[in-house]
Amino acid sequence: MDVRLPQLSEGANSGTVLTIFVQEGDSIEKDQTILELENDKAVAPIPSPVEGKIQKIHVFVGDEISTGAKIATIVEEGRPEAESKPGADEQASKQKKTDDKEQASQLKTEKEVTRTERAGYQSESGFPPPASPSVRRLAKQIGLDLSLVPGSKRGGRIIVSDIQSYIANLQSAASKPAGKHETAETAEQIQYNFEQWGPTRREPYSSIRKTVGLRMQKAWTTIPHVYQFDEADITALMETREHYKAVYTKNNTKLTLTAIAVKAVIEALKQYPIFNASLDLNTDEIVYKDHYHIGIAVDSEAGLFLPVIRDADKKTLLDIAKEITHLAEKARDRKLTSEEMKGGAFAISNLGGIGGSHFTPIINEPNAAILGMGRSLIRPVLQEGEWREHTFLPICVSYDHRLIDGADGARFAQALVKSFEQFETKYFQTGQKK
Amino acid sequence: MKTINTDLVVLGAGPGGFAAAIQASSLGKNVVLVDQNPRLGGVCLNWGCIPSKSYLHAANLIEEVKSCQHRGIIFSDPKIDIDKMRAWKESILDKLSTGMVNQAKQKNVKRLIGRGYFEDSNTLRVETNDGQILVKYQNAIIAVGSIPFLPSTFDLGNSRIMTSDKALELEDIPNTLLVVGGGYIGMELGAVYAALGSKVVMVEYNDRILHGSDRDMVRFVQKRAENTFQEIRVKTKVSKMETQRNKIKVTFQDHADQETQETYDRVLISVGRKPNCHNLGLENTAVTLDGNGFIEANHVKQTKDPSIYAIGDIIGGAMLAHKASRDARIAVDTICDQHVTIDPVAIPAVVFTDPELAWCGMTEMEAKEKGIKVDIATFPWSASGRAMSFDRPDGMTKLIIEPGTGRIIGVGVAGSGAGELISEGALAIEMGATASDIADVVHPHPTLSESIMECAERYVRNLEK
Repeated sequence: MDVRLPQLSEGANSGTVLTIFVQEGDSIEKDQTILELENDKAVAPIPSPVEGKIQKIHVFVGDEISTGAKIATIVEEGRPEAESKPGADEQASKQKKTDDKEQASQLKTEKEVTRTERAGYQSESGFPPPASPSVRRLAKQIGLDLSLVPGSKRGGRIIVSDIQSYIANLQSAASKPAGKHETAETAEQIQYNFEQWGPTRREPYSSIRKTVGLRMQKAWTTIPHVYQFDEADITALMETREHYKAVYTKNNTKLTLTAIAVKAVIEALKQYPIFNASLDLNTDEIVYKDHYHIGIAVDSEAGLFLPVIRDADKKTLLDIAKEITHLAEKARDRKLTSEEMKGGAFAISNLGGIGGSHFTPIINEPNAAILGMGRSLIRPVLQEGEWREHTFLPICVSYDHRLIDGADGARFAQALVKSFEQFETKYFQTGQKK
Repeated sequence: MKTINTDLVVLGAGPGGFAAAIQASSLGKNVVLVDQNPRLGGVCLNWGCIPSKSYLHAANLIEEVKSCQHRGIIFSDPKIDIDKMRAWKESILDKLSTGMVNQAKQKNVKRLIGRGYFEDSNTLRVETNDGQILVKYQNAIIAVGSIPFLPSTFDLGNSRIMTSDKALELEDIPNTLLVVGGGYIGMELGAVYAALGSKVVMVEYNDRILHGSDRDMVRFVQKRAENTFQEIRVKTKVSKMETQRNKIKVTFQDHADQETQETYDRVLISVGRKPNCHNLGLENTAVTLDGNGFIEANHVKQTKDPSIYAIGDIIGGAMLAHKASRDARIAVDTICDQHVTIDPVAIPAVVFTDPELAWCGMTEMEAKEKGIKVDIATFPWSASGRAMSFDRPDGMTKLIIEPGTGRIIGVGVAGSGAGELISEGALAIEMGATASDIADVVHPHPTLSESIMECAERYVRNLEK
């Protein structure tokens, strides 16, 4: 049977082949990993749906493949051992082992021979990949098969920079799986014998967790974080929200504090654009964005996702609320596409639904800042000689000290508090009857 | 017996062997170059490309002068001094050969004039005028080329039955000349004799002349040759030739097995060339020959004998000087452990008829034979101002294009000066250019090179429709 790339559980439908764990001629068991695929978010193992022998592998390390792409052809086979008569089986199995070995080495040679034929570039006229003689000479000198290199010029012509980026890709692909030194669990980690203290359970540290972990570790170690704590009095805001709640419910959506925060954040970002910027160390430039794409942290069984509300400044609160509900559902159903997680310029993480007060979120690189919201709490406030119940929202803005200094951090937090406290009623209006 | 020790011995000093010797020497090898002809250059310089092109230039000049009346230029009939013409040709060959001798000297290539014979895998015995010399070598390159094929039934020991070598000596201008074989050699030399005044009849066994080339391009050559030659007789073979006093009596057999007999003053046999490996002592080495007598060599031109390489006509394939030179680079690269010479995608071929035919890469016919789907874009020279300006609208330019990618995979040109135009085609193919690339390049007006751009533009425009 032909094994095709399934819809990836990580929500993406394409990725780059990172490692191929099997060879043509190998026997494979059901659920044994054929290859690992990497997309923006995660590294996903692709398991074999059947038991059998691998007849052909249709992809190469570094290939970009999409859902439905043919990965391998597996011949399902019975168990010859079961058929062999007892008594002669030891001799037979020995013989078979040698045969297998020989066959495997033969197949390997065959695979090497057919490599060009199976590779990316194929011309119906039988011509080699289009490339100038100097590029072909370079490829020959470094022993590179040009049919594997995607050409960027007209008609797929390969130029020197295509070779450079191909090699760079190969290198990064080759270094990633071996890059355990960079992962959270380092190679030098001390061996703990947890079992000596009582019964334990072990579960694999999944590829997604590994990827998220790496990103977090990198952001946490490279970005000098500063945390600015504050509280916003959202009493008035909550009253207005209560007032409009029914309309939103009618529209099959929840008017969450996260959706409101998106609007509030944009108000503050407009006053302090540096919080919507990114640091480009390649060019030594600060990139200010004249768009407002806000990432929303979504918790799911599979892990943490950060879908993005695009051009949130141009959307109504109702639209934003609807979109968040939709994206969160998609995240939980593992149907988010990598496209839906790209391009965020500022992120919001709201843990208020779960509980807790202030916390210090880690900035999502290459953003400049992130907003963390805790659970709002009610406190008495002495107002005009009367004790009244007021609702306070604990917020924390984590920002990149390479871009932003403390004073601006405090100013931004203040602006944010103000935009929560003076949240304009007009944002709630949907133009519909209550 | 004198013995010379060397890194590399090259046997044959034609366009393959000479290039190999110079390149290997540049890369630091001790090189001995062996050729039995005191004049370097092999077939190309002595009995091929260069003398035939000299005569063809003279022939075209005669034809040109004849057809000037309508331009208001009237010449009297030209007088031909055949001895002077032959001497002029010789002077060209001498100049070129002297240049090669000097180059060999500069590069410290040691020359031996004499016949080479392999004693074993690492020894070549050379029979020079000053006695025999043993050359002990690390590597040898065999570049002994090819010779005209003369079927034994035609070999009557009569010098009036000529091959191209003899025809280029231009002993006399026969009244009547029969050319057997309508390939490029017969077409070129037939044209020379026709221009000098011979009545030329061409006989071809196939159903058309130059049958390896695309039919639509050959028609221009065919049409003109029908005027300059007395007759072109296709689907006919020569079954017998006999000496009859000062003439040759030829028996023809047409496709209906009808026999006719005619007599000619001279006959030129141009039915192909064969490898020149007779009496080289190859049996003393591990070198092997294929069924047609060509030396078997792998992709780096190494023979079955690991120390011996073979290049050019002797290994078959396209029997062209420039292909031999490329073979030389590949072989020398391998011997010198360089591995930098790429495999060419397109080897251009030129037929120096009038008009000329040139092509490179895939031809339309080849695509059809192999069942490869291609797009064709053509441009007739009757639409070219430049071609009209010198009365030669009889030509066309053709691009063979890979559908989908638009990549140029073949170029064909028929017309005056086609041989000079084809290099743009070869460049386009080797660079992996598309039709759009060519259409985007500014070509000067008024030139014939515009026809290549015009083809490309026509193709691109059609796609846009």
